[in-house]
Amino acid sequence: MRRFILRRLFVTLPMVLAVVSITWGLIRLAPGNFYTGEKPLPPAIERNIREKYGLDRPWYVQYGRMLGSVVQGDFGVSLRYAGTSVNSILSSAVPVSAALGGLAYLLALLVGIPAGTFAAVRQNAAPDHLSMAIAMIGLSVPSFVLGPTLVLWLALTWFVLPPARWEGFGAHLVLPTVTLSAVYVAYIARLTRAGMLEVLRSNYIRTARAKGLPERRVLLGHAMRGGLLPVLSFSGPALAMLITGTVVVERIFALPGLGNYFINANLNRDEPLIIGIVAFTSITILVLNLAVDVAYGLLDPRVRY
Amino acid sequence: MLTSACGGAGASSPYFGKTDPPDGQQLRYISGAEPESLDPQIGSGQPELRLFMALYEGLTEYDPRTSVEIPALAERWEVTDANTTFVFHLRRGARWSDGSPITAGDFVFTVRRGLAPALASRMAYMSYDILYAQAFNEGAAFVRDAATGEFLVDETPLRRRLIVPGRAEDRAAQLDARLRQRIDGAPLVPVRAEDIGVEALDDHTIRIRTMRPVPFLPRLLSHQFFRLVPRQAIERYGDDWTRLGHIVTSGAFRLETRRPYDRVVVVRNPVYWDAAAVRLERITFYPMEDLTTMMNLYKAGEVDAVYNHVVPVSWLDQIGGLRDYMNGPEALAEFYWFNVEQGPTRDVRVRKAFSLAIDRTALAQFKRTVLPLKGIVPEGVFPSYPHPQGVVFDPARARALLAEAGYRDARGEFDASTFPVDDVELTYNTSETVRQTAEFVQSQWKRHLGLTVPIRNMEFRTLLSVRARREYRAIARGGWVGDYLDPFSFLNLFSTTGGENGSGWFDPRFVDMLVQANRETDAQRRYERLARAEAYLLDAQPILPLYTTSTDWMKKPYVTGMYDNPLMAHPWKFVAIEHDPARWNAPTHPGSEHVRH
Repeated sequence: MRRFILRRLFVTLPMVLAVVSITWGLIRLAPGNFYTGEKPLPPAIERNIREKYGLDRPWYVQYGRMLGSVVQGDFGVSLRYAGTSVNSILSSAVPVSAALGGLAYLLALLVGIPAGTFAAVRQNAAPDHLSMAIAMIGLSVPSFVLGPTLVLWLALTWFVLPPARWEGFGAHLVLPTVTLSAVYVAYIARLTRAGMLEVLRSNYIRTARAKGLPERRVLLGHAMRGGLLPVLSFSGPALAMLITGTVVVERIFALPGLGNYFINANLNRDEPLIIGIVAFTSITILVLNLAVDVAYGLLDPRVRY
Repeated sequence: MLTSACGGAGASSPYFGKTDPPDGQQLRYISGAEPESLDPQIGSGQPELRLFMALYEGLTEYDPRTSVEIPALAERWEVTDANTTFVFHLRRGARWSDGSPITAGDFVFTVRRGLAPALASRMAYMSYDILYAQAFNEGAAFVRDAATGEFLVDETPLRRRLIVPGRAEDRAAQLDARLRQRIDGAPLVPVRAEDIGVEALDDHTIRIRTMRPVPFLPRLLSHQFFRLVPRQAIERYGDDWTRLGHIVTSGAFRLETRRPYDRVVVVRNPVYWDAAAVRLERITFYPMEDLTTMMNLYKAGEVDAVYNHVVPVSWLDQIGGLRDYMNGPEALAEFYWFNVEQGPTRDVRVRKAFSLAIDRTALAQFKRTVLPLKGIVPEGVFPSYPHPQGVVFDPARARALLAEAGYRDARGEFDASTFPVDDVELTYNTSETVRQTAEFVQSQWKRHLGLTVPIRNMEFRTLLSVRARREYRAIARGGWVGDYLDPFSFLNLFSTTGGENGSGWFDPRFVDMLVQANRETDAQRRYERLARAEAYLLDAQPILPLYTTSTDWMKKPYVTGMYDNPLMAHPWKFVAIEHDPARWNAPTHPGSEHVRH
């Protein structure tokens, strides 16, 4: 187990470097520059800018500097937000995205797992059809429809919740959390149902029932452990996506998270910031995937490393 | 029932959403994109300007109603030498937020810092009219006469020192043979910061000299680039000086909080020279770009005002007639360039015909948040500027002109089939709004001239270079935002054949008219001369005027002292929250007397 974890951690750095290298190349292919605006700049001013930021140096110098900054974990200074370090942007934006994403995922688990379990137990009965129908709606209504609809009713018609903005933990977080979690509630409910259905038909559950265990213990003690494995493997990438910023919801609710930065960093061709966010995102995904694989080994006796 | 309890958001309200003022004197304002920087010489856009107008003051400030200059750190100034020398007298008692006095030397420091190549300010060009400012920013050099040691001078009537590029390869590429020969062997002297024409005559007197007559210089000085920055903090903290705890400011408010993508909070600065007149205790700027989100916040009464161009077009039916909606003209001209160097548009009659065939009133109704443009200088922005008659809508005359230009049948009538429509193309940059306009104009030509002019889009940067080299066929999209609030900012486009002039039209007589106008010391007579120059320009029709954008924004009725103005620049010291609804629409409100000092 320990060797497995070490081996995986060992390949993380080369993978992150590969990801940022590809990103770096793509930025260079995109037209425009961080300083191009509606009006073209006088050539002398453009030259001053290129000298200041080292854009006049050969590409391999710039590339080497970028790789060096990633390896050291210091992504340098944003080009667009002059004087602001990428690390300070990450440290202010990540907690917002992580809080929102974490809450949304928690909500998704709290609603999705019971709903899916319930549907599996009452398969093909009314509760199953009802919860799966709601899940289907949750899956098919995108957040840019659900968010504004909730805002229209709760914030602008009944004035019971604020329509947008970040004010820490409180009423301002309700609508974005619900909006963000909807898809995940639906997904988790469906995954739970499928996983539970498969497990409930398996031999060891029949054995448990034959032993005369009460249905509650069969479900919670035995079936859940296997039935939630699909949810677990979904959780790694899902949580990584949620923590690293959710562009649409952050924009609709004007939240100062990583998603907003990432969109604008791309539009602004803000190379250090793009590289910083991409590196952070890929590390998060790799680490969470590793965590899921480890958890798999603990939960499923068939998996051995 | 619930709605009406929440402050008059009912269907019959003349306002959009809640109208409950916030507690006390605090304003919550949506300021646009996340500010690039809190350094006024780095943050280059309007979103930044809105913050800088709270934090930093210049020698002059924008008038809250008209956007022209009003005294700020300078209490008065004199103009001499045919608009080439300016002496500004600083207010005594003006202080930085750390309590130290603001002196003339601080302004000199500000200009020199802004122009330093190492700072690489994108806005440095705003000061290029100041003596040797451009030369210093470009790293250029003066030339000494090898024999006498005197500086060589240029050939303009003002006889300024001759300026050549600092790098040998640039000199070889840019100077003509005659000039290269003239400077051959002569010692070059790099232009230094001390050579810039901004001097402190004493602690409270500043003299600015310019390269050419610049009657609008006091107006230019309200721009963020010229707002005073603190030498004491910059020399101590370097690039990090704008951080909370380090930052020192010169304006009516000082920084309290900055949270990126969330808010910038400023509070009243007690040591500001006019602190007694400042009424807001606190302003919260919310950076935000999603139009629906900001309209939601406005409707729910979570913000008190928003910046310009924010009401989604589909909402205008509901909001357009409300009392808290504003939509005045801006200092922006949207037009098409005619290529006067090749193709059918070489003929002025063809250019005129294409312009006469467009119904600009219908275009404005179609676009909704624009006003028709008849010349190059936007209307409604310069109150006493006598606009020339400009272009009109006259399809019959358009067809007659085309017939006159040779596109006619046997009877002498205009015949669309004789027009080489393949040699004409309307080129525009990829953008939804720009495309809509192009399609509208295309349909106008189709309807009124019977010509189907092809339209073609390209990426913005590509269009810029195609236009500069006149490689477009006949017609290309153009647009210009005034760098400063003066008609010259628009007319100056045609002062050279290069640069921003996309048409290739150049007429020394027109340039001379501009130069003569700028030597004029009487403001109204100068406007008349500029208007004559504009009429002369329009007669040659190197452009096809289309529209001026309008401001398109909202402000709650309880916010006073904040007006619709052409630059959408609001000096916050005049703004207040009026808690008494009876005084919301008072014809004169307490803010107006503070405007004129």
